[in-house]
Amino acid sequence: MTTLTHAPASSRPIPNPKKSLITRLHMGTGMVVGIIFCWGTYFAMKAGRDMTDSHNVNKVLLASMMMWSFGFLVGIGALIGPFRWLIGKDLTAEEQLYLAGDGQGVKRYFKYCTDHKVVGIQYLVGVMTMLGAGGTMAMMIRTNLATPGSHFVNPNVYNSLVGLHGITMIIALIIVSTGPFGNYIMPIMIGAADMAFPRLNALSWWVLFTAIPVLCSAWFLGGIPTGWTAYAPLSDQAGPGMNAFLATIIIFALSTAVAGANITTTVIAMRAKGMKWNRVPIFVIGATISVALAVPAFPTFMVAMIQTAMDRTIATGFYDPNVGGSGWLYANLFWIMGHPEVYVILIPGVAALMEIAPVFVRKPLFSYNAAIAGFAGIAGLSILVWAHHMYMSGWMPALNGPFMVTTEFISVPTGLLFLVLIGTLWRGKPWMKLPMLSVYAFIWDFLIGGITGIYLSDVPADNYLHGSMYVTAHFHYTLMGAALTGAIGGLAYWFPKMTGRMLNERGGYISFWLVQIGFNVLFLGMFLAGAEGQPRRVADYAHLFAHANLISTIGAYSVGIGMLTLLWAIIHSARSGVVAPMNPWGAKTLEWTVPYPVPLVNFDTPPVVTSDPYGYGRSAK
Amino acid sequence: MVNHEEEVLAPTPGQRVGTFSKRKDVKRTFWLWLFFTIVFCVLGRLAYPHWMPPVLSKEMQGNEDIMIWFTVISAPIAGIVLAVAMESFLNMHRGDTPPEEGVAIRTNTPVVIIWTAGSVFFCIVAIVWGLVVMNTDATKAAADSATSLTVDVTGAQWNWSFFYPAQNIHTHTLNLPVDRPVTFNVISDDVNHSFWPVQLGVKVDANRLATTVIHATPTKVGVLDVKCAELCGLYHAYMETSGQVQTSADFTSWVSSIQATGGVQQ
Amino acid sequence: METSTTPQAKKSIGALVAIVLGIGVVAGVGFTLHKVSADPQPKLYATKIGTIVAADGKTYNHYTIADSVYADPINSKAHGTCATCDGGHPSWPSYGPYTDFVLPAHSYVTVTLTVYDGGIKLNTPYFASIVGTVGGTANFDGVDKTNLAPDGVEHTFTLHGLPTSTQDPLFVNVPLPMNTDAEMKAYNADPTKLPIGHKVTFSFITQGAGHYVWNCEYPCGDSTYQGFGAVMGQLGYMSGKVTVVNG
Repeated sequence: MTTLTHAPASSRPIPNPKKSLITRLHMGTGMVVGIIFCWGTYFAMKAGRDMTDSHNVNKVLLASMMMWSFGFLVGIGALIGPFRWLIGKDLTAEEQLYLAGDGQGVKRYFKYCTDHKVVGIQYLVGVMTMLGAGGTMAMMIRTNLATPGSHFVNPNVYNSLVGLHGITMIIALIIVSTGPFGNYIMPIMIGAADMAFPRLNALSWWVLFTAIPVLCSAWFLGGIPTGWTAYAPLSDQAGPGMNAFLATIIIFALSTAVAGANITTTVIAMRAKGMKWNRVPIFVIGATISVALAVPAFPTFMVAMIQTAMDRTIATGFYDPNVGGSGWLYANLFWIMGHPEVYVILIPGVAALMEIAPVFVRKPLFSYNAAIAGFAGIAGLSILVWAHHMYMSGWMPALNGPFMVTTEFISVPTGLLFLVLIGTLWRGKPWMKLPMLSVYAFIWDFLIGGITGIYLSDVPADNYLHGSMYVTAHFHYTLMGAALTGAIGGLAYWFPKMTGRMLNERGGYISFWLVQIGFNVLFLGMFLAGAEGQPRRVADYAHLFAHANLISTIGAYSVGIGMLTLLWAIIHSARSGVVAPMNPWGAKTLEWTVPYPVPLVNFDTPPVVTSDPYGYGRSAK
Repeated sequence: MVNHEEEVLAPTPGQRVGTFSKRKDVKRTFWLWLFFTIVFCVLGRLAYPHWMPPVLSKEMQGNEDIMIWFTVISAPIAGIVLAVAMESFLNMHRGDTPPEEGVAIRTNTPVVIIWTAGSVFFCIVAIVWGLVVMNTDATKAAADSATSLTVDVTGAQWNWSFFYPAQNIHTHTLNLPVDRPVTFNVISDDVNHSFWPVQLGVKVDANRLATTVIHATPTKVGVLDVKCAELCGLYHAYMETSGQVQTSADFTSWVSSIQATGGVQQ
Repeated sequence: METSTTPQAKKSIGALVAIVLGIGVVAGVGFTLHKVSADPQPKLYATKIGTIVAADGKTYNHYTIADSVYADPINSKAHGTCATCDGGHPSWPSYGPYTDFVLPAHSYVTVTLTVYDGGIKLNTPYFASIVGTVGGTANFDGVDKTNLAPDGVEHTFTLHGLPTSTQDPLFVNVPLPMNTDAEMKAYNADPTKLPIGHKVTFSFITQGAGHYVWNCEYPCGDSTYQGFGAVMGQLGYMSGKVTVVNG
């Protein structure tokens, strides 16, 4: 049992490094400097340029957007430490303590704060904002598709909705588990005092933050016509809004690289004494494999975007077939990121549910080794499957066979994930609390997502299904049905540790059923439309598909209302929910051994681990 | 991997199988498995043929067969997952305190091995099926190359146009004779498109300055929808046209009517 | 278990209010996007000028519409004051003053387009042919032709739609002749001085009611990939709607 020698935050003196610049900087100063840099660049570069030439427009806009991001980081003080290093100094101890934000209340959430728990909450709010924006766009898309004829929005707006919904949700889902839980919970779970690189941790969040306004600006620059895949040469041809997309991805890739290196290092180097690799909680394993997979994946996306930017600004022609470029080059770079990326999204969500299931079934996680083999197998294979997105592109039909082999084999490690979950459930008497419901939703949703993936990866069936609504339904079953469901389960599970209060159960249940029933209606309808032959990303469709689309739209509204219910439950519970005990679920991982609010350094006495955290249950008879 | 503690407590393997099959939860799980498996099989067998458009080619038949039979083959596996999940769900414990401790099953090596072997087997079936179909299609296309009808397909933002070189006609609809293999040479004049004659069950991207080729053999007379399956900008949704698979005689008269009006379809 | 109902009821009302508020926000976004999506240009309804007997021997009601194609959005009058304001596109060519046409079903429609722009060449030569018009021809400054040279085309009027079970197919393609550099000389020096222009007249017969779109197949998006960026990607300049209505 932990003994509290830690004084409550309020009674300790707030560090006050007098006259240090860092005490005066916050999100507001960041925005001011960012905006000055942005507009300064804009007007300076615009002067004397022929702005009827799209190449010039692209140069000016891209530079302004990147300067916004840089200016914001200058203004919030992110670069003070590195700058001091440059001149042979460092932050003073007092300044570092100040940056950790202890005792600064709500203000620290708006500062360059190095406490991993603050960063976790920043990510959580950021993710919820992005999911809200992406969800709103989803409602617009479904409203337009409710009836044939595209009566709600025009094709320009529709194409932008599709692309911006896609990229917003992809970014949100990449960070939905590793952002909030990977930062807030994971260091405590492994018994660490903080992340390995607290300043990089803050940097990863605030760099990501600067991408949000950039992405929003796409709407005011005429939108994007390309979808989130941003296929070239369509992206070469696209209007000024495309620059916002490129800048967003470049900034986001920087953020993921920083976060990935940080999480990986933390897990490798900062585990508590006695936490051997076979005693590491499965969520930590999953999150680490996920971010480690992101580290090699995202740079190729960044390169693809930089090349698109060069095509659009100085006509390099990487993707312009007229001057020897190729759209296939883009597609390869994109999917070398794109397929690992879906597993970057999926793995932490599944891992969170694997953390949850043993606690609520009161049984050990079934075959911890199989779980790790599943994650590792998926991660390993996922870098060898990218061209299954290109079976129908005409690029190297001879490689379709080999890519089909690698892709189909991903179902083997994926099958292990199912085995671990149902093995844990087997003979169990699950405590049906909110987090546990997500486990069941995951099994149903991911089963459908997984099986339909087997048809899609078979080249002959993909002849028919590629580019159809069937694909859209399939990947929503995996990304939303599995990864987002896992993250919602994780939120319900760790909510008491992150807010000190229980998530409202009734709100949670109502939301769960509205979302899950709506979700299945929505995407089963979309499978139907796809099987009938409706292409994806179309603003309008033939009457043949009217029923399937109406069904989908009705489901979508149910999801929308369910998500709003969840939002209410989260806000209401965080403010005035039932105060949570230290370990409400009776779990055995380390985060449940610390009180709320979690002390600045997490543990007063560094914990010593003597077993894995799954020692539930009585011996088999 | 043998757990030492379990070894002491466990009865002989024969006794274990006997008691296992008599357990209530095992029986319930079995019936649930049977139920889910049958439901999935029936759904797969009935739903896809009902939903998917009319099969107008050999290739489309191949696609539909995969959709149906992969569903049927995967049904027993999906059935296990759903049955175990459902059985435990029905056993749920409600209330504000945790349930009693469950059985401490850390792992079960035979189960892990059987499960993995089963999924590898299923994988191999899917792969071999796919490779055989791909190979059959490719062999047939090569054998047919001398007799096949050639259609040059051009995608341009946001219309399809077709040129039949042997007939020297330009068209905006895609008409094909039944039972004659067709070779499509597909190209784009701008961004990527994807040529999708839906009822023929084939598809290939149209790329600028790079011709892509696909083959199909229409086997039945009927209406064709030609769609673009790759987002191509503003009017992507409207980049569609129609066509027909016709009897040989109808096709010939269609061709001559176009040749009579200067080789451009009106 | 004893619970007082008041906090419970308060909570439910709070939840309802929050959800309604959320729906309100989403609806607000929807309303804004719907408003942005509305066609800024007025619709042009076809005018009836009598009846006509077509080549198939049937008598049709005869309707006409007329529109023009300009080298800039100001002369086209299709984009209001924002054609020149910041964020406008003073160098974009445009149909005008209409890009949105309403035609009656089962009628003989004669279209007159006057062209005031220059050009170079089509990406796809196919669109230099005249397709889907009465007689397969169009009249260019008094001369009937079945096609133009692909490098003599300036814009096209290409009408198409989704093939659906509830509307008849309608495909019309008419290339528009370019004004030569000599003809454009005065305009290039002073954009208020339009060239004399070329008059193109063609007719087609509508079938049942339906929703169609039209776009130009000439690459007008200068300095973009294959000329299909910029103006070509923006609705209402080189693209628009054609609605065929009953009655």
